[in-house]
Amino acid sequence: MTAGPRSAAGPASLRKDGTANVAPFGRVLVANRGEIALRIIRAARDLGIETVAVYSDVDANSVHVRAADLAVRLGPAPAGESYLRADAVLDAAIRTSAQAIHPGYGFLAERASFARAVEDAGLVFVGPSSAAIGSLGDKLAARRLAHEAGVPAVPGTLEPASVDRPDQVDAVIATAVEIGFPLLVKAAAGGGGRGMRRVERAEDLPAALAAGAAESASAFGDGSVYLEREIRPARHIEVQLLGDTAGTVVALGERDCSLQRRHQKLVEESPAPGLTPEERRELHEMAVRLARTAGLTNAATAEFLFDAQRRFWFLEVNTRLQVEHGVTELVTDIDLVREQFWIAAGRPLGADVIAAAEAAGSPRRHAIEVRIAAEDPARGFAPVPGRIGRWTMPSGPGVRVDTAVEPGNRVPPDYDPLIAKLMVADTTREGAIARLRRALDECEVTGIQTTLPFHRFVADHVGFAAGELSTDWVVEHWDPVATDLRSDALAVASRVAAAAVWAGAGHSGAAEAEQRDPARPSAWRQAGREAARDRWPR
Amino acid sequence: MASLSRRPLRVGPAVTASLPGDAVVDLSPDDALAVEPFGEGRWSLRDATGLDHTALLGEVLATKSGRLVEVVVAGWRFELAVDDAARADLVERAQRTNRAQRRGGPLEVRAIIPGRIMAISVAVGDAVAAGQQLLVVEAMKMQNELRAPRAGTVERIAPAIGDTIDLGDLLIVIG
Repeated sequence: MTAGPRSAAGPASLRKDGTANVAPFGRVLVANRGEIALRIIRAARDLGIETVAVYSDVDANSVHVRAADLAVRLGPAPAGESYLRADAVLDAAIRTSAQAIHPGYGFLAERASFARAVEDAGLVFVGPSSAAIGSLGDKLAARRLAHEAGVPAVPGTLEPASVDRPDQVDAVIATAVEIGFPLLVKAAAGGGGRGMRRVERAEDLPAALAAGAAESASAFGDGSVYLEREIRPARHIEVQLLGDTAGTVVALGERDCSLQRRHQKLVEESPAPGLTPEERRELHEMAVRLARTAGLTNAATAEFLFDAQRRFWFLEVNTRLQVEHGVTELVTDIDLVREQFWIAAGRPLGADVIAAAEAAGSPRRHAIEVRIAAEDPARGFAPVPGRIGRWTMPSGPGVRVDTAVEPGNRVPPDYDPLIAKLMVADTTREGAIARLRRALDECEVTGIQTTLPFHRFVADHVGFAAGELSTDWVVEHWDPVATDLRSDALAVASRVAAAAVWAGAGHSGAAEAEQRDPARPSAWRQAGREAARDRWPR
Repeated sequence: MASLSRRPLRVGPAVTASLPGDAVVDLSPDDALAVEPFGEGRWSLRDATGLDHTALLGEVLATKSGRLVEVVVAGWRFELAVDDAARADLVERAQRTNRAQRRGGPLEVRAIIPGRIMAISVAVGDAVAAGQQLLVVEAMKMQNELRAPRAGTVERIAPAIGDTIDLGDLLIVIG
């Protein structure tokens, strides 16, 4: 553990004017890394809360550690030996006298057992209760809750499908025929598409059930699967929810996250383009009803599919802060992490939140986020870890960048390849897209391939500008080879490379000796060795 | 290695970083007239339509045969192998010749150094033995003897005494 240099104000201090400036907590532990850890630490510090960071060995010198008042080492790089170690995280919180733990997203954020352990230790888990996480984390239970709340869930089963009873096969197939093909076999404990199987014909169903159950059992330790109609084409639209411990629940607008690849979101925006005020109100109202029925508190997101007939179908609830929460903040001007802390400390939702929720039916701003990741969009978005060289992120009016990356940083292969979230906002969607194009032009990254070419493509796309969104958008539109995007860039790059060599770049003379210590191995070679040593886990 | 300044260059993605269909191009200094340095590590290029492109120059490594250059354009990152075009030709021809030789075809002897032909020791139609002197090239004030890589008959002699030859120029064909 290292002590920070700052002497924080503490939980209760006096402002200059003599009024009490009471923070929701004296000290919180942030159980995450990267941009989200930094974002949470910033919100905490804005509230006068002392922060405790946790880190794995590869993150010891990272920005989130530096930003916190205290830092505790968890273990080696693999998440299973560091950020996923619930016992070590809780122990760190107890040893540093933290009163609350903010889990961020990913890692331990949706583990009901972790939330319960935090509660049992007398600490506050900044998020929904362990009971709510448990009941909503089971997708079948969530579907039953939606049914109870009168919210239409994607048509399908409400109970686990029988997988290994030959006498039940006919019954399962009869149910499937009723739902209609093609359908999806989904894991009750699932997420990220794991345990999911697409089935087009009845005769393929038994095998898909068995395979989905086996994959789900190995990934989540729970082999329960169920059937769901495949809704296609569809848009993915989700509602940001905030609920206090007094039972007040509000919807802070929706986000369209249709641009996905293999269930990984790439671009998100708020509000969802093209919804009528009635549709927007209906959507928010359904989400709030569901949250009330589930006894949901703190921050959560209800996900829906919006079909070609303009109907909403409930998909699932994420009981945590979302990666894309920032677009909602840009539209509503509400700091969601700050609200999370206040709610966790027991304060009722403030008048500003209530007012923002009331205004969410007719939003006056539009925000778009693109996820900049260390992935190669020409090679199926395969993760490409490495060392970042130049790193310049955009700024200026209407631009927000959430990142914890600095020039020279190594993007480790052990974690999610997300390195920055670029968000833009303006009064109109058109204006936001123009700002996105401008901001993308300001991005300068060398050393690793990123998803920036894809985002530039989206920002320039006529269909995207027209709001023609679908979860199949990426598959239908993104083909960097056919569109000559990459080859045009290669033609420019080749000329520049030649010009640089003619100008003497890399000449093994004095110029290079000045720039590089010959005893030090090249950054590329080093990065290559590092990449070879620890391949990406998937 | 020899300086690459002002010589035609062959540029294409390094083998480990290329995708099928990636173009390899030969560029002469004239092709770089529209390319200018634009601050530290940045270059600008004006294309035929008058549009300006900005490119980021990352790391440049010296390789055995040239340079490995990292360039990022419009978010696309390339690792480009930049080699002397004549030398790259030579390597390619040598590979072709090796294959041809294995098949017993004629052998092209090409200049492996630029310089001036000082002497020609054989005539068309002569039978030569492997290792026999073919001609003498002066380069950097040194006399370099060029010898037959294998036995055969001299089918063609391209240069004359006093000619200046460049890297990769055809000198002699042995049948």
